[in-house]
Amino acid sequence: MTTLLRAEGVEVEFGGRSILKAVDLELRRGEVTTLIGPNGAGKTTLLEVLAGLDRPARGTVGSDGTIAAALQGAALARRTVLQNVELALAWWGIPRAARTHRARAALERVGAGHLADQPARTLSGGEARRVHLARALAVEPDVLLLDEPFAGLDLATRADLLYTTQDAIRDDRRATLVVVHDRAEAWALADRVIVMLGGSIAAQGAPIDVFLHPPSLDVARFVGFVGTITDGDDVLALRPSDVRIDPGGPHLGHIRTRIPIEDGIRLHVELDHGDVVVVADPPGPTVGETVRFSTIGGERFRRADGYPAGEAE
Amino acid sequence: MGFLWEGFKQAIHLLLHPTPELLNLIRVTLEVALVSAAIALVIGVPLGLWLGLGRSRGRQVLLGLANAGLGLPPVVVGLVLALLMFRGSPLGSFHLIYTLKGVILAQIILALPLVVAITTASVQAIDPGLLRQAQAFGASRRMVGRFALREARVGVFTAAIAAVGAGLSEVGAVVIVGGNVQGQTATLATSLLTSVSAGAYAEAIAVGLILLGLILILGAGLTFAQQREPRSRSVRVVTGGRHPFEPLQPVGRR
Repeated sequence: MTTLLRAEGVEVEFGGRSILKAVDLELRRGEVTTLIGPNGAGKTTLLEVLAGLDRPARGTVGSDGTIAAALQGAALARRTVLQNVELALAWWGIPRAARTHRARAALERVGAGHLADQPARTLSGGEARRVHLARALAVEPDVLLLDEPFAGLDLATRADLLYTTQDAIRDDRRATLVVVHDRAEAWALADRVIVMLGGSIAAQGAPIDVFLHPPSLDVARFVGFVGTITDGDDVLALRPSDVRIDPGGPHLGHIRTRIPIEDGIRLHVELDHGDVVVVADPPGPTVGETVRFSTIGGERFRRADGYPAGEAE
Repeated sequence: MGFLWEGFKQAIHLLLHPTPELLNLIRVTLEVALVSAAIALVIGVPLGLWLGLGRSRGRQVLLGLANAGLGLPPVVVGLVLALLMFRGSPLGSFHLIYTLKGVILAQIILALPLVVAITTASVQAIDPGLLRQAQAFGASRRMVGRFALREARVGVFTAAIAAVGAGLSEVGAVVIVGGNVQGQTATLATSLLTSVSAGAYAEAIAVGLILLGLILILGAGLTFAQQREPRSRSVRVVTGGRHPFEPLQPVGRR
């Protein structure tokens, strides 16, 4: 695949604090890359540097095509939806005669065609997000950068928007980077996922590799391996689905917290050499109760440096 | 009460049968208000736009001056300008003292801080994310400026209303710089002052009514323009699609 945008050694500092640390990244034609990380990891800063809105303190960004970014805020001007999309096309340099057709087509692609003549100020959060996405698609850049296109929406609206727009987001002629906050969104959209932690790229690869076989303990914790058990020089990182309450199991712990959830009772179990999270069937053990459990998976890392130690149990 | 009623009757008569002097007062007043407001807008709106879009310390100092200028005492401005305009003073060679040009200059100086401060505040009130989004879609600085001006149009019209209103009603600076010369630099507001001083209350009431009428008419017109929804678009294509970076280097080469 052709590389359309490359960042090399990008560093950003703000107020003496390092926000991005020697970030190397490539975006390729026809590929959707998702950028995921906790708050403050530097995702938005990286996107804005890639978009040319901020200059890196060090490093370079090179592109082989046009770049457009839909920023996180979904800010719309005080005019109709169609006019907002046309405005983006005007900024992009599209001649007036071509704008209306392109704007309407983009709105249709994201399921917002019926909103065209509505004033933008009357839109709901989900509708505004669709329009924001539509104007980013309308400009047809070679590199499209989307900063949390589903942010600030309720779960149902978020899911609806995700599933109805993922075809529109994917384009074989374009390189697309989507900053997301949620692993489910990354799974749904990405050919390649990049995990950012503390201003650095901590992992990248196919979602199945990064999420199921994270390359470090820090990444594992971020992608859902919320439990750890120390085992000699190794640490076994465990997702809730890797742990089973088992009266004959080898591990012993006591319940610290229990939270009812959709799938049962989420239990935080504390051990002498770690802690794990497990989902039990209701009613489940009570707080303070001692339970035995077994593990049926997980990823093993070296305690010393947090890097993989070998095969999981 | 009879005295007041008599004054109103004379005022109505004067309004229905205006004298050449009254018509000249109206002309001078409109010229001072509209020309000074127009020039203050031409200078002040771009300045306010620049101040509103930037965040540097120098801009903050200028904005502080503009805000301080909102409380500028007109008589002090008039006095300083008159001192500068007298023969032998730095502006003496321009022969501005006791002329309409001098009065307009004084009024521009009084209206400029109003225009700058109100425009700046209106631009700063625009969602910064919207302006940054414009940049993210490739808008040039000029396009962002035009867009910001359009988004801030309600505030800019407010600045225009304030500038025109100040021009219509100013007395202190106009009297000091213009000398209140009937037929040349006297305006409705300064003439009203003269009428009151001379005890010609009917004339003062008539002039006052005309002045209020002008303020209402111009204010209403500008308010109508202010509250109109914008037409569909304003952005003119200046540049093509965005390509802000260096060409991509071959893989492996820095």
